[in-house]
Amino acid sequence: MIEFKLPDVGEGMHEGEIIQWLIKEGDAVKQDQPIVEVQTDKVNAELTAPITGVVKNILFSAGDTVEVGTTIFTIQEENEVSLKDVDRNESGGRQEQPGYEETNRVTSHGQLDAGRVLATPFVRQMAREMKIDLHQVKGTGPAGRIIESDLQQFVEISSFLQEHPDHNNDTILPEREPKKKAKQSKSAEAEPEERILLKGIRKKIAEHMVKSVSSIPHVTHVDELEMNALKELKDQLKVYSEDKEIKLTFLPFFVKAIVIALKEFQTLNASIDDKSNEIILKHYYHIGIATNTNEGLIVPVIKHADQKTIFQLADEIRQLATQAREGKLSLEQITGSTFTISNVGPIGGMHATPIINYPEAAILSLHKMEPRMVVRDLEGVIRLMMNMSLSFDHRLIDGVTAVQFTNRIKELLENPIRLVVEMR
Amino acid sequence: MVVGEVAVETDVLIMGGGPGGYAAAIRLGQLGKTVVLVEKDRLGGVCLNRGCIPSKALIHTADQFRKLGDLGEMGIKLPQERITMDLNVWQDWKGGVISQLTQGIAHLCKENGVTVVQGQATFLSDGRIGVETAGDFETYKFEHAIIATGSRPFIPSFIEVDGEFILDSTASLQLQGVPASLSIIGGGYIGIELGMAFAKLGTKVTIIEMADRILPQIAENLVKEVIHNAKKLGMNLITSARVEKAMVVDGQVHLHIHSEKLGTEVIVSEKSLVTIGRIPNTEEIGLNRAGVMIGEKGHITVDMECRTNVPHIFAIGDITPGPALAHRASKQGVVAAEVICGLPSAHDSAYVPYVIFSEPQIAGVGITREEAERQGYSVKTGKFPFSANGRALATNEMRGFAEVIVDEKSHILLGMHMVGPDASNLIGEGVLALELAARVEDIALSIHPHPTLSEGWMEAAEAALGHAIHIVNN
Repeated sequence: MIEFKLPDVGEGMHEGEIIQWLIKEGDAVKQDQPIVEVQTDKVNAELTAPITGVVKNILFSAGDTVEVGTTIFTIQEENEVSLKDVDRNESGGRQEQPGYEETNRVTSHGQLDAGRVLATPFVRQMAREMKIDLHQVKGTGPAGRIIESDLQQFVEISSFLQEHPDHNNDTILPEREPKKKAKQSKSAEAEPEERILLKGIRKKIAEHMVKSVSSIPHVTHVDELEMNALKELKDQLKVYSEDKEIKLTFLPFFVKAIVIALKEFQTLNASIDDKSNEIILKHYYHIGIATNTNEGLIVPVIKHADQKTIFQLADEIRQLATQAREGKLSLEQITGSTFTISNVGPIGGMHATPIINYPEAAILSLHKMEPRMVVRDLEGVIRLMMNMSLSFDHRLIDGVTAVQFTNRIKELLENPIRLVVEMR
Repeated sequence: MVVGEVAVETDVLIMGGGPGGYAAAIRLGQLGKTVVLVEKDRLGGVCLNRGCIPSKALIHTADQFRKLGDLGEMGIKLPQERITMDLNVWQDWKGGVISQLTQGIAHLCKENGVTVVQGQATFLSDGRIGVETAGDFETYKFEHAIIATGSRPFIPSFIEVDGEFILDSTASLQLQGVPASLSIIGGGYIGIELGMAFAKLGTKVTIIEMADRILPQIAENLVKEVIHNAKKLGMNLITSARVEKAMVVDGQVHLHIHSEKLGTEVIVSEKSLVTIGRIPNTEEIGLNRAGVMIGEKGHITVDMECRTNVPHIFAIGDITPGPALAHRASKQGVVAAEVICGLPSAHDSAYVPYVIFSEPQIAGVGITREEAERQGYSVKTGKFPFSANGRALATNEMRGFAEVIVDEKSHILLGMHMVGPDASNLIGEGVLALELAARVEDIALSIHPHPTLSEGWMEAAEAALGHAIHIVNN
């Protein structure tokens, strides 16, 4: 029986959220077959079976947050005797195990004694000098050994994150991609820089961003929301959502409030047709949810969001996010949005200037929710606060309209009872 | 203490000049600190004066003495007279060895600007220390202190060590003649090392051990060979037995022992040696005045930087929890010195090798197979007997084996253990391999010189991979 412990799949992650199990207890699985999908604050990863066998116990449910090194499932070897025979044959020659290092690298952190860091005394000394906790460093050396260049890379990533605290999820991706490549090529470790052709989804994103910024005069307006009442409502609904096996987040409530506001401020659910020089007011409400994936920023769309219940929205958001990360979205699912939400809250940050998803008229960024000191009735009190940044097309929308729009959202979300009353 | 005394100021004060204390002093000197090293007896501490070095001198002498008997089969003819051992002469030779080493340390201390003070040191506060020298008392003010006062043999209350009949390990190394019979209380590594040495010199040795076998701290498979040899040397091993009384009657030691198997019995011998364990010297140095806390067993708990609960006071060596080994103390001494000087040093390795100078020697680093399995590893092992090694056969020392313990999944080495000739020197390769997080292939693929005993590691590693050359692979 092998205990599979959550490995460090990101660069120095501490915990990860189980997104979904791809198998169930009792399933027979093959080595390297995907078992579970895990999301960290930086990456999504599919973890694979370390051996061929039968999945015995699944110890966490989807939605649970698990610390690195915790056993998340156990797997029983399919046939102990036959495996030993295989092993004996394989060990006859070292060259017969080419895949061995790679599969092991994924699990080695979890499998080995948690107290031991695989690094030489010199590297440990270097880490002390650089004030790096080696437990947070992913080793790229043999069997996951931490080598000198891993420390250098760790420092680079840390300083990048420090210098760009308000970075959007996608901004780190151009940095990350070359790093991944650098790891694969031994000779690249010594190279100070590397050139990679801008292609694929990344190239599409780049083109789209340039087009958006160059053709739409962007203005950003920022406001803050008090979330206490909404949180209370969400907590009360938790029992029902669990019954329906739905993970309820704040996002569906935002979608609902935005849709109500969009109906009242039509220019925000609109676009300009540059060719015909016409304003298109849309009487359908397709809300794009900007989602970070391994491939880059993808915006799956919730069609007819105004006609769906909170639970339906929650379910759909989860499904779309999963499909996005798996790269399984159809073209239809990522086109046709009329307004976009960029939820950067889980990453952090105070304000942003989100770039409008061309040709739409506006985009709303939701930021980190946190307890803050605010003044109520001339008294300082602590409330759960959240900022939102609205970038809008100044050709279509005046500043006043934009503020009225966010005021309306604020009114609905700070008093969710009004949201409930006004929902259709 | 004199009112209005003038305290000598120093950056660092070190209490104890053993292998931990003097290493710290020299390193601090190298790093430009002013250092006062207070030693109540002689530089070098237990290791040089009463432990490692003199015992190894005795063990080596006993080995040579014993080997003379084996020379006949190699065709060397010795005079017919019975060879004899004069321990008096040996004492002089041993004294010379120790003296050369301690003088070397004194020289190094001097060259590195370390002031060595002979006297008994006690803390007066967390910033001052008093040193009692012959008829004088001086105080020292320090920025940092390192406590390195070491340990001493533990003697149970019902036994009185008189140094003549009932000995501790120190007294046993100062004997002027080879005793006809010696009963050793405690079958740990000190008891076995000294017991086997005396047995080789012709002493009738009896070992009394409370556990069900000798060397109970060491994995059973590593000890078998030693038990076999002890019996061959005519040693009497009494296990699962407890000494209840020790008395001297008519110039003979009478040990009353009790065991479930044998009941009560009296062992009579010319001398008796008590080697039950060691206790830290943490009393009588005024730790409470400095605010340094000690644990239940008298040890001072320290962090990886060797810092005590008082941040500017450090502790190293036998007074800290862990094996009482000189090499651990030295490492800690260097770490403490570097930390005091602001360098990012740490005692962060679990790999403290152990060496037992028994016959044959046992040495190891890392964990054993049983420990690895307990920790949840799937384990692979590889073992290579010295009976299949050319050098071992050519030097007539073919007992023992090399063993590697490997994590089956990653092939990373978890432990390397050896029983056999020169295991104490050969374990260096194991320490390096484990520290470098080597895989078993790294050992197997490295060319080891032929014909040497070190080939044992290569073959054991190959055996773990299923393709050793000089044995049949299972």
